[in-house]
Amino acid sequence: MTVTSVVVVGGGIAGVSTVAELRKNGYAGELTLVSADAVPYDRPPLSKAYLAGEKPLDAIALQRPDWYADQQISLIGDAVAVSVRPDAGEVELADGRVLPADRIVLATGGRAVRPTFGQLGRDAPVHVLRDVADADRLRTQLVPGARLLIVGGGLIGAEVASTARGLGAEVVLVDPLDPPLAAAVGTEVARWLHGLHAEHGGEALTTTVETLLEARAGVAVQLKGEPDSRRFDVVLLAVGLVSETGLAEAAGLETSRGILVDSGQVTSHPSVLAVGDCARLRDHPRAEHWEAAQRDGARAAATILGSAPPPATAPWWWSDRYGLHVEGVGEMRSPDAEHQTVVRGVVGQPPFSVFTLRGERVIGAVAVDDPNAVRAARRMIDRGVDVRASDLADPATDLRKLLRGTR
Amino acid sequence: MTGNSGNVENSTGIRVASVDDIPEGEGIAISSKITGTEDDIAILRDDDGTCWALNDTCTHETASLAEGWVEDGDVECPLHSSRFNLKTGKVDGLPATRDTVPHRVEVRDGEVYLFPGERP
Repeated sequence: MTVTSVVVVGGGIAGVSTVAELRKNGYAGELTLVSADAVPYDRPPLSKAYLAGEKPLDAIALQRPDWYADQQISLIGDAVAVSVRPDAGEVELADGRVLPADRIVLATGGRAVRPTFGQLGRDAPVHVLRDVADADRLRTQLVPGARLLIVGGGLIGAEVASTARGLGAEVVLVDPLDPPLAAAVGTEVARWLHGLHAEHGGEALTTTVETLLEARAGVAVQLKGEPDSRRFDVVLLAVGLVSETGLAEAAGLETSRGILVDSGQVTSHPSVLAVGDCARLRDHPRAEHWEAAQRDGARAAATILGSAPPPATAPWWWSDRYGLHVEGVGEMRSPDAEHQTVVRGVVGQPPFSVFTLRGERVIGAVAVDDPNAVRAARRMIDRGVDVRASDLADPATDLRKLLRGTR
Repeated sequence: MTGNSGNVENSTGIRVASVDDIPEGEGIAISSKITGTEDDIAILRDDDGTCWALNDTCTHETASLAEGWVEDGDVECPLHSSRFNLKTGKVDGLPATRDTVPHRVEVRDGEVYLFPGERP
């Protein structure tokens, strides 16, 4: 059957990438994007430039507002889908509209996890950070001298700590892991990155929150192992993401910590696909990174068009803190019988990069202020290039030549 | 490495570098003081050896495309990996959404001549 109508539910990077890739690759049928926001925007700046007030909303749009019309995409903004009916080929919106859909792509994203640490009123200054409204609420409270507690020292927690210090807030960051992010960047780099909080006037504690209680003009926080509670003006919970699977579950699709999909992004119903943070490739963890969501969109488009999927590539991410640009690709592993760690430069003195090698193959890399090391590593991983650890470790070695010379 | 000995003549362009000064897959930035343009201009050498020129500042944030990764007809921004077509300046990969400006480049006798403001 020729596909003549596609409805994409969700206006984040995964949904927007899906519609963009469909048009780019020749899909000529009806194409509708249902977005909870008026115009889809990019989320990474919500913890960085947008939160800092350096970029307004229109500067973080995922596409220019006129792009949708140019591409003949019906953007239905400020809209919520309440039901998807794959057998009937329909998507129903909250305003009662029913959209015909030969293929439905769910790009509903996720919600920030919000653990409960005690009774809190609706207006308590305890926030999560997922959308623009969250960022706006948080920003009004990040004034000079404000006391901010960040629960969770992962990428988002660390980025907000950096932004908040830049705005003059006092920052305490707690995480049960010492250091956080060791699995993503390796222990040595993780420890140095985590140490930047203290270096920039914040306080990083290895502990957990026992209770959060509303206090006069703020929140009283009992941290595990401390005799007294501390008072904060504002609290950010940055402890992870849960997939938004409600529509899929109601439609009878298989879900388990995400809408389960195959390698072509197809769910348990053949005419429904799922992309981005709402989806999980069966037997794999969710990627939860920007580029992973974008690639999901490209794969979904290829599936709908019946074309070859885009080539696989090692997963890549970036983060920024205290003016430093951190990137990672592939998988970092602790040294063991099979794996070795290769440092290029000196950890803690940017620019530097760290690679994980399995035998003579790079399987992962992390770089601080050395993005082209990660670009080289990505290609080494994707192309299965053999390298010598000593060449990689030598900052005088041109990584492009290493990549080319041994291809 | 920037060509500070450039002479401004529209007919012959500005000599900005020797081709050999720019390794394949890399770029150099030419200051707007030399190019007379609003932005600096990145001279980018593709991995097939050809030279191209684009406005240097990524249209997404503020990174220098001359510090990017040049390969297969695209330059990849060193910050967020937005990709721009070397010949047309068009966005080939998000997060950038605005195309950038290409400029004409000629290579004569191993020297790179830039024609700021002229389309390739």
